Amino acid sequence: MADQKKQSVLGYVFLIPSLAAFCVFMFYPLFYTVYLSFFDWNMIQPQKKFVGFQNYVILLRAPNTWKILGNTFWYIVILLILNWALPYLVSFVLSFVVGRMRGFYKSALFLPSIISLVVGSILYTWILNPVSGPVAILLKPLGIRLPFWTKTDGWVIAGLCIITTWKTFGYNLIVLLAGISGVSPEVIEAARLDNVPLRRIFFDIVVPMSSATGIYVFIITIVQGLQYVFTPIKVITQGGPNYASSNLIYMSYHNAFTLFKTGTASAASVLTMLLFVILLLLEFRFVERGVYYEN
Amino acid sequence: MKLPLDAGGMTDRDGNSKTQGTGETGSAGAAGWHVFLILYTCLILFPIAFAVSNSFKTSSDAYNTILELIPRRPTLDGYRQVFAKLPFVRIALNTFLIAASVTACKTLTSLLAAYSFVFFQYRGKKVLYFLMLITMFVPFTVTMIPNYLLITQMGLRDNIWGVALPQMADVLGIFLLRQAMRGIPKSLIEAAKLDNIPDLKIMKDIIMPLVRPAVISTGIIFFINSWNEYVWPVLILKSVEHYTLPLALQMYISAEGGTDFPLAMAVSVLTMLIPLVLYLIFQKYIISIFAMTGVKG
Repeated sequence: MADQKKQSVLGYVFLIPSLAAFCVFMFYPLFYTVYLSFFDWNMIQPQKKFVGFQNYVILLRAPNTWKILGNTFWYIVILLILNWALPYLVSFVLSFVVGRMRGFYKSALFLPSIISLVVGSILYTWILNPVSGPVAILLKPLGIRLPFWTKTDGWVIAGLCIITTWKTFGYNLIVLLAGISGVSPEVIEAARLDNVPLRRIFFDIVVPMSSATGIYVFIITIVQGLQYVFTPIKVITQGGPNYASSNLIYMSYHNAFTLFKTGTASAASVLTMLLFVILLLLEFRFVERGVYYEN
Repeated sequence: MKLPLDAGGMTDRDGNSKTQGTGETGSAGAAGWHVFLILYTCLILFPIAFAVSNSFKTSSDAYNTILELIPRRPTLDGYRQVFAKLPFVRIALNTFLIAASVTACKTLTSLLAAYSFVFFQYRGKKVLYFLMLITMFVPFTVTMIPNYLLITQMGLRDNIWGVALPQMADVLGIFLLRQAMRGIPKSLIEAAKLDNIPDLKIMKDIIMPLVRPAVISTGIIFFINSWNEYVWPVLILKSVEHYTLPLALQMYISAEGGTDFPLAMAVSVLTMLIPLVLYLIFQKYIISIFAMTGVKG
């Protein structure tokens, strides 16, 4: 009995290093940010002024906020197409359609995942330069002009999503491939013998049978994607032109470290957190409980 | 390019079906998909070739022959400028010191936590594991202001240890090493405990040899991620001699490009060099461990 007790105490002891780090640099900051969202402060004043929900009211009344929420929506949509739908399709093709060179495609497509997004950002500002970049030069004879995408509403979001996708596509592909590997090849083989078209094999068999991984990647594409895209926003456009490329994450950063408004910055962070919590609940609803469970 | 999902559309498009049989699970349409995949792979790898090629060009060649992948007059000028204009050795060393210490700390704390979660029974274990898992869903904006204030109070702003300090634990490592340790038979550990072998010795002599591949790949992931990290260092590091590689590179970005094209490409190449080498050596490990992150358990 005493031995049992010693064992459970030791269990906690082994957990202390990580738990302590999480408490100091993750859980305490989380609560402190919620606290700061109810105060007017600029990081320097000795006194923080309690303002209740005013930071949230200011935030939700500012016209820029709605523009930025709209941008966030478009970031999510484009990232889901490029980083969830496309790798889902490619992972299906790699698993069941092409056989040769599978390993090569996998390694090559994954490669940018290990490269810094700052490198990606600088390379793409040159590659997609609308005047002197290689893409512009190649398209010129065809009469196609690249838009000045870093300065144009709409295009700027698409451009920044392409850069982010360059880095994150491979990771999502690898995870989806692992998920799809749970689909039994016999089922696919049988469907093929019955001449079921590939489109229906994908939508009617593969997607439902890999849905747990599919939903997981759907959610991390949003949660990680909005954060990953911060890096190209920060180094290329700083949220511009006129907030056209800002998103929820950049809005927090901008309020905190450019405008020194910790209150509105924290309020924006708390709203982001709420969005992610909703996504987390979706994950539990569909994955942990299991609609279709692939294992 | 339109992506035909059904075999019929594909044969209509190609009018033939050259690549078939040998290893291809499905024959119809495979050729078209190979074309698509090869084009897509080239598109993905092009930026890397673009950076390497232009880093070896003279300034005027870089602008005038931007499309040519083989430099006409190869030169090391770009690289010479990197060392002349930046305290490059110092910056590379900063990046390495942060990445190495973060990797060492995270690997150690993850090993201990994973061992605790797998081989001990205690109250609240599930809740604690769950608490750690949900940290994956916490956006960095929620922790950045308090952590910035904390590091400032500790006098560690503009100091590489201020970058490393908040990163001593990582839920990804705990998750991956827990998965690896769950494969070890519990009876093996219980037998060792009955022999009164201390837990740290069990970890070192029994667990470590069994989970070494997982530990190595987790460590490589930590190292590469820290090497590439941008968001947190940019808040903490202010002076060039304390910069890490991504921060130094950032100085050469502007929406219109910039004047130091080969120099910027040289810094890009030097920034991606170490992760690329690690990837080329350990790619099997890295890919298989990343594949595990999507597995529930």
